[in-house]
Amino acid sequence: MSKGWFLIPFLLLTLGAHAEDWPGEQWPTAPTPTGPAIEALEQYAFPSRDEATRQGIRTDALLVIQDGRLVYERYAGPTTAQTPHLTWSISKSLLATVFGVAYGEKRFALDDPAAKYYPPLSRHPGLTLADLFHWASGLDWQEDYEYAPLNSSVVAMLYTRGRRDMAGFTAEHESAAPPGQAFRYSSGDSNLLAAALKNIVGPARYPDYPWTALFEPLGIRHATWETDASGTFVGSSYAYLTARDLARVGLLMQRDGRWGERQLVPKQWIAFNREPFAHFQAGQDEAVPGGHWWLNRAVDPAIRPWPDAPPDTFAALGHWGQALYIIPSAKLVIVRYGDDRDGSYRHNELLERTMAAFAGRVQP
Amino acid sequence: MRRSALLALLSVLFVALFSWVWLERVALRAFPDIISAYTAKEYCSCRYVMEQPADYCHGYVKQSVPISDFLETPEAKRITVSGLGRSHSARWMGARQGCRLE
Repeated sequence: MSKGWFLIPFLLLTLGAHAEDWPGEQWPTAPTPTGPAIEALEQYAFPSRDEATRQGIRTDALLVIQDGRLVYERYAGPTTAQTPHLTWSISKSLLATVFGVAYGEKRFALDDPAAKYYPPLSRHPGLTLADLFHWASGLDWQEDYEYAPLNSSVVAMLYTRGRRDMAGFTAEHESAAPPGQAFRYSSGDSNLLAAALKNIVGPARYPDYPWTALFEPLGIRHATWETDASGTFVGSSYAYLTARDLARVGLLMQRDGRWGERQLVPKQWIAFNREPFAHFQAGQDEAVPGGHWWLNRAVDPAIRPWPDAPPDTFAALGHWGQALYIIPSAKLVIVRYGDDRDGSYRHNELLERTMAAFAGRVQP
Repeated sequence: MRRSALLALLSVLFVALFSWVWLERVALRAFPDIISAYTAKEYCSCRYVMEQPADYCHGYVKQSVPISDFLETPEAKRITVSGLGRSHSARWMGARQGCRLE
């Protein structure tokens, strides 16, 4: 009898360790709640889909992870659980997380000049890696997809003049402002980072680095990351993952860079990702830039891009409605893939409805 | 009098147009390449990376600018698209590398 009492603390410890869920080959699941809140979420995310006009909200996938367990999953259109969906600019935040592993290997410092790792930037000696992560290179870049194709730097980079060497194309742009002083969203900045990574980790490790550093440790088996003809990852745009696999990156971020027992990405790095860029001004973009992730808070407390989501919400966002949202205070990770062609989708609306359906729910 | 004013206006417009074309010459030369390169690359990725059906991928890459020719070689996983007088190809390189413009 007395022996048994001694075991209780050990038992509690063991229970404590088991209480934290992580995905193995598959996600552990918990029952999806039912009721008006979940119906309201589905009404917003999955209205009837018009393939002819392509108007309105067109969600391809919606997946919710609560405290490490899959609690909601639905697909529409041709997308399934097995589809490695194009993430567009979510790739930028994935690139930043790959950099986080290299940061843990102490291969670079944030205030290193970018030209140290990417010599074509030697014309811009004051430009640091941190400036590129803040989209504040100061380069004269035009980020616009469909509406102004003639002068769009990003269209020229992906499809015409820049496509063989996207970082080289970006580095040829003139300065419009001193580096680090002003936010100007630029896919070129992300591809300069992708090119710098080649010398940061070494050309021999580079072609497999996103897999060895990030995807494999997280159990992601099917990721594609396209390169340009010079072998540089299109860090701005062309990573493809299933919704379930993208959620693994979300859980890593929610738990401050830790995956199981292993601190895969230093906490310091996640703190940099989540620190608002000091020179961001209201209205410059739909969310607040951190270190290549998007935040729901700024240095100015009046700025709240998604007022109905908690201030600690942060996200990776991409063209046509791609999103990976992380809400650490609610232990939520949300993957939303879409094919929105008209910009009617609102992050705040989806976040509000997801919070209503899932946050505060007692774990069974 | 009215004729000479019209002539002056026209020549100003002509000079303005010519200057704009000169300033934008690099972008203008590349502009007709966009539609065929975009369609070839994104169709290739839709079909061979995302592994979606051909019908869906044709709709997925459709833009308001028309294309004039589309050739898919499934054995080589290669797409060639023509439009606005230009032609571009994209090819699937492998499971990790996906598609790339040639």
